[in-house]
Amino acid sequence: MNTLKITIAAFIFLGCVTAGAVEKTEINFAFIGATDGNAYDGVAQGIHEANLQGRFLGQNYTLHEFSADNMDAIDPGVFIALIVATNADDVRQAGNRFKDHAVLNVAVHDDALRNECSSNLLHVIPSGRMLADAEAQWLQKSPDAGVTASGWHPDFVKFAARDLNKRFKKRFSRPMDQYAWAGWAAVKMTSDSVARKDLTDPAGLLQYLKTGLSFDGQKGLDMDFRDTGQLRQLLLMVDPAGDLVGEAPVRGVVAPDDVDSLGLASCYN
Amino acid sequence: MKHLIIVSVILLAAMQLAHAASGRIFVTNERSNDISVINGSSLEVERTIEVGDRPRGIGISPDGAELYIAVSEENVIAVIDLETLELLRKFQAGSDPETFAVHPNGNIYISNEDDAKASVYNPKTGEQLAEIEVGLEPEGVAISPDGKHVIVTSESTNMLHVIQVPEHTIVANILVGARPRAATFTNDGAIAYSTSEISGEVKKVDMSTFEVVAVRKIADEKAKPKDVILNKDETKLYVAGGRSNQVIVMDADQMEVIKGIPVGKRVWGLAMTKDGSKVFSTDGVSGTVSVIDTGKDEVIKTIEVGKFPWGVVIDD
Repeated sequence: MNTLKITIAAFIFLGCVTAGAVEKTEINFAFIGATDGNAYDGVAQGIHEANLQGRFLGQNYTLHEFSADNMDAIDPGVFIALIVATNADDVRQAGNRFKDHAVLNVAVHDDALRNECSSNLLHVIPSGRMLADAEAQWLQKSPDAGVTASGWHPDFVKFAARDLNKRFKKRFSRPMDQYAWAGWAAVKMTSDSVARKDLTDPAGLLQYLKTGLSFDGQKGLDMDFRDTGQLRQLLLMVDPAGDLVGEAPVRGVVAPDDVDSLGLASCYN
Repeated sequence: MKHLIIVSVILLAAMQLAHAASGRIFVTNERSNDISVINGSSLEVERTIEVGDRPRGIGISPDGAELYIAVSEENVIAVIDLETLELLRKFQAGSDPETFAVHPNGNIYISNEDDAKASVYNPKTGEQLAEIEVGLEPEGVAISPDGKHVIVTSESTNMLHVIQVPEHTIVANILVGARPRAATFTNDGAIAYSTSEISGEVKKVDMSTFEVVAVRKIADEKAKPKDVILNKDETKLYVAGGRSNQVIVMDADQMEVIKGIPVGKRVWGLAMTKDGSKVFSTDGVSGTVSVIDTGKDEVIKTIEVGKFPWGVVIDD
């Protein structure tokens, strides 16, 4: 909060909003995965947007890329959190190596990772079981063959999803898919927490993400994490032609806000 | 008698200068690309005017002569003559103009949702006077009655940006709950109220310190507050409850919920008559405008308008 006041004072004093007007808090993310994929683009979008907020609050966000076979190069003291976009083994390994850090999984649907209820793995991308449950709910409503669930769709417009899709497409000239959304969301929930709570230490951030998060992921819900480490979220239903046909929880089958009807709701069930 | 005549003459002259108010209610219909004109006495739609692709924000010039409409997909503000209801002109207003507010000096302050900017235009000439960098997805715009402060809410950055006029510098960035949508000022400009859609909160901001002095989370989880206005004596707040399908009445001091008034589905826009007797709400999904009697805080009439009514303003 002090940082905010100093920032405001500096704005008044200088009479202008310039990036260099205030001392910056540097916030660094480690990204493990391919830099030519959608998840990476989503993370980059998130960093860009975090800096749009950070310019008002004196925070500067930077992304550092690593390959999964070179986790030794990651200096834990530098990073606020890690984002992994490869496979279950890498997610698990990063979780074990960087116990004090939030390890944000933005690409792996693997159910076993959730069932392990690890203390520092946070799964932004939906689990396989969540997707399967959504598809089962859809089948109860209409026997359309081949409708699949996804964490995001480029034609989703509600809850200002339209704006996010537009921004992403403008920047990368391709539609935002669920991996890009998860990458964006991983950064956004962190930058929101940094801005609100002045959290700049990895352990404090991890604790807040697990217990205090109330995140606007442009899917209309206040999102938070289950004790399995899975992000509660709305899913989108896509027909075989790739068109958006609905949302899950599927209205008429379960209550529209019953997001825990999708996937393993708790470690203790 | 002589004095009375002089006063009458002055009043008449003033009325002519300020253009006789028609009492009409104007509503933008986001998906039928038109505006509904509601007669202020009969409360019936008397006319529908096509304005272009995705009309949203709506406002009236301080002299009461012109109606302004943000036509979002065309990136323009459409200007309509309030007397003839003819479209006078359109001017370019930056990328994706959504909401705006009219300054007492006649300039308009617009949030450009796509661009993370607020911009200032002279609607008489269409000239852009200033551009101010704000947070992502700027949305609500409110201007203090003395014209010294403009609040722009940025939905994705979760801030109220306080812009000082005429310098157009940002003097404060106030972090609020997720997805701040709208703001309003008390008449003396000392207090601002702001809604946050996702966090379901209404916040009270002291405009001398720029600090949030009170927060009220609306208990109804479905309540996604959008527009907010004060009643005439500033004792009550009316908050559009979004998907709770209610206009929520709060006491302005403690922000305790007094009542939820059931209206149509997905209520967003609100406007109050100058005499304070009625509040009009736009019920987006229902395609209706609800008329609330502020004495009883009950709906006295529901008016069918176009598709997805969004903004509402009264020419009174």
